Amino acid sequence: MAPIFKASEVHKRFGDHVVLENINLQFKSDCLSGIMGPNGAGKTTCFNVLTGKYKPDRGRIEFQGEDITGLAPHEIARKGISRSFQTMNLFNEFTVLENILIALKEVREHGFDFMHLLARESEVAAKAEKILSLVGLSGKEYHRTSDLAYGDRRSLEIGVALAAEPSLLFLDEPTSGLGAKATTQLLDLIHRLKQKYTIVMIEHDMNFLFELADSISVIHWGQVIAYGTPDTLRDNKWVKQSMLGEGA
Amino acid sequence: MIVRKIAAQDWITKEMLLIFVILVTLPLWIEQIGLYRYLGVEIVIWMIYGLGFNLLLGYSGLPSFGHGAFFGIGAYAFGLFQLWFFENLWLAIVFAIFASFIAGAAVACFVSHRRGIYFALMTIAFGQIFWFIAIKWHSVTGGEDGLLNIPRAAADFGIFAFDLDSNTELFYFVFIVFVCIVLLLWRLVHSKFGKVLQAIRQNEERARFIGYNVWLFKWVAFTLSAAIAGLAGVLFSMAQQGAYPDVMALHASGIIVMMTLIGGGFVSFWGPVIGVTIYFLARDVLGIITEAWLLWFGLVFVLTVLFKPEGVAGAWQEWRKSRTSTVSGYQTLLQFLSTKKR
Amino acid sequence: MTVSHIFPHLLNGLSLGLLFALIALGFMLIVGVMELINLAHGSLFALGAYFALTIIDPSLSWFTAAEDSYTALPLIYRYGLALILAPLLVAVVGMGLELCMRRTYGKKAEYGLLLTFGAALVIEESIRLTWGPTERYLQVPEFMTGAMLFAGLIYSKYKLYAVVLSIITIFLVWLFLERSPYGAIIKAGAHDSEMVRALGINLTKLRLLVFGFGAGLAGFAGIVMTPIWGLRPHVGIDAVIPAFLIIVVGGIGSFWGAVIGGILVGLSVGITGAYASDWSLLSMYLLLIIVVTFRTRGLFGKKSILEN
Repeated sequence: MAPIFKASEVHKRFGDHVVLENINLQFKSDCLSGIMGPNGAGKTTCFNVLTGKYKPDRGRIEFQGEDITGLAPHEIARKGISRSFQTMNLFNEFTVLENILIALKEVREHGFDFMHLLARESEVAAKAEKILSLVGLSGKEYHRTSDLAYGDRRSLEIGVALAAEPSLLFLDEPTSGLGAKATTQLLDLIHRLKQKYTIVMIEHDMNFLFELADSISVIHWGQVIAYGTPDTLRDNKWVKQSMLGEGA
Repeated sequence: MIVRKIAAQDWITKEMLLIFVILVTLPLWIEQIGLYRYLGVEIVIWMIYGLGFNLLLGYSGLPSFGHGAFFGIGAYAFGLFQLWFFENLWLAIVFAIFASFIAGAAVACFVSHRRGIYFALMTIAFGQIFWFIAIKWHSVTGGEDGLLNIPRAAADFGIFAFDLDSNTELFYFVFIVFVCIVLLLWRLVHSKFGKVLQAIRQNEERARFIGYNVWLFKWVAFTLSAAIAGLAGVLFSMAQQGAYPDVMALHASGIIVMMTLIGGGFVSFWGPVIGVTIYFLARDVLGIITEAWLLWFGLVFVLTVLFKPEGVAGAWQEWRKSRTSTVSGYQTLLQFLSTKKR
Repeated sequence: MTVSHIFPHLLNGLSLGLLFALIALGFMLIVGVMELINLAHGSLFALGAYFALTIIDPSLSWFTAAEDSYTALPLIYRYGLALILAPLLVAVVGMGLELCMRRTYGKKAEYGLLLTFGAALVIEESIRLTWGPTERYLQVPEFMTGAMLFAGLIYSKYKLYAVVLSIITIFLVWLFLERSPYGAIIKAGAHDSEMVRALGINLTKLRLLVFGFGAGLAGFAGIVMTPIWGLRPHVGIDAVIPAFLIIVVGGIGSFWGAVIGGILVGLSVGITGAYASDWSLLSMYLLLIIVVTFRTRGLFGKKSILEN
């Protein structure tokens, strides 16, 4: 089966500093693909290039057979790619509900509607409700986002990404900063999301990733240095090394 | 439940009615409190200007320091249309709004991909350009003296017409425009478009990544805001029967920022309305006592930025919140005591 | 139009550019280190000139005898004193402003902009109250006044003197930035305040000093420019606008950007002055828009947090 998303020979440099070199990645439909690597290996930059924040200097990015190289983030988002952020990127003055509503496809398509109120339509509100219950934020609809607890903000971060009904979901270190209990809850959530969505996830919690991923790419020094299923990678010396690196 | 809660923000609110009632009766009492009717005209014009400006500053988070340009363009265009072509109120108004709309649209093309400081600097530069043209292009704008003797034709509604000669008549004309603008803007800022603008203010990057063309939204907000400033300029030029370059200077553009901020434009729709009132009262009341009223106003502004950027509206909201929370605290205490008794 | 026609305009533009660069220096230092657009720069500029005015001719009538003997001193001494003392006083005012600024650090950069705008208004109004709203004249020593002939053209001696003074100041600031340890810190701060902190430098003190220094330079520029531009309470606006244009054109956080930006702005004003003197100032705004449209960070600018 053809991959849903394909990046070929992607290069990115900032000034003299080469951040990504000859990156080749393929993500299959209905799978959870993991990206791992030590800090500063270029994982987040890789996400940023793939989702349009930075234009690659060279290379080609394809989504559902269509060339999306160099498109603006909003154009890529509209093609059906959603992402979450490692450093949380929410609308802090909005309520939880508003955060979800504003990201819904139905609202996005009527962004220039000057007359109708946000979520006057009950089916849109119901949809937002559903997403909130999926990420475990039911009952907190009217909390101000900036007042939320850290773990709830993490969940909302994923909720906002889900609201656009993506065909492909990028998650940038969703466990970052979470405690053991919250991480278990998140594991459960992503297990459920896996049934419905195609997911690409950056993660440095190895056990977390090995538990979830169908395939994993290891990025180090701006290059993909290993690729395989969790089982084949478990004994890979690079993976071991970067695990040690993380532990230190 | 959700639907009901959001439906509360509808066309008309209690605050809105209160402000309308205060303003509609203003000609009856303003002279009793020692002020004059023309002040009412001026205040309402600046309220319109401020509300439009707050669409940028408060709702979209775009600090324009050159908005006076569009106010001025509206004023000049209104006068020039009548001096060049013919005296007709409606056509002149449409022409003037169109002129400031076009100017706003052109400037917006250059500034919409920016935010924060760079946005402010670019708007200063554009504002200065228009101001400079207004001063130097004598043959059209009358230079530093401005455009004089702009006619103020009667407002002709087809079946009936009313003169705008007296300040009271002019006041009600301006007031009607104010009501329209308030109703429209209130609806606009609570519409999907308005929410997207607020989302962009809070987090431009996220807005982009959930699929909004941020540039276009900013462009529309800027252009709309410029057109409303133009409308306010029209009214000002009707009131003054002239158009002057002063309103386009950096100083004047900065004053509208100050009014909007002091009133609480960051946190409330009514921020500019409050701020404009404070400014004009300071000018006319404080101005009688001391020549240095602007110094005091500037100091108040500095203190606002330092200690309460949410302005008067923000302080009011906080006070009300603290009051309700003490009430509920009191109730909890009562509850606690009654359980103890049992 | 031939070369000989354009030559005086080029020269005029160049000298204007050097003066603009002088005006922009203090602005450049503050924006470079503190990433703060100081809209009060113009008011501090005016304040410097007004302080000089009072230092040269106190007429406070506090100690009449002392004043009389002081005003009896030759103008050149009093002028020299003003040239040193007035910028120091402005620096003190600037430091006071910096103390107020502290509450806005870590908040959005717009707050700094709003605050300095308010401060500009307050300073300008204070000037109006203290020195009156009318146009004032700053006396300068006699040897600087009058005209001189050069290459068949008449130049004002004062302008020559001002240009020389501005070249010297630019050179001194450059020397300071290049040679002194403070300069090294300031340059480091200009690019990375994280690094300044890592070096164990007291950032609070650095900011205070830089703001004082920048304000002092603004005041100094005010004294130099006043005999050319005249002195009104709102003269500051004529200084702050070119200053920020120059910095944005030259690029934030770059010393040579400020100098070259100043010269470019001066030249564009000078050359348009040759063709359409009424419109000469318009060209600097157009220059800004052209440069910034094609080069987001100006000619020599590096990435700055102001972009966010």
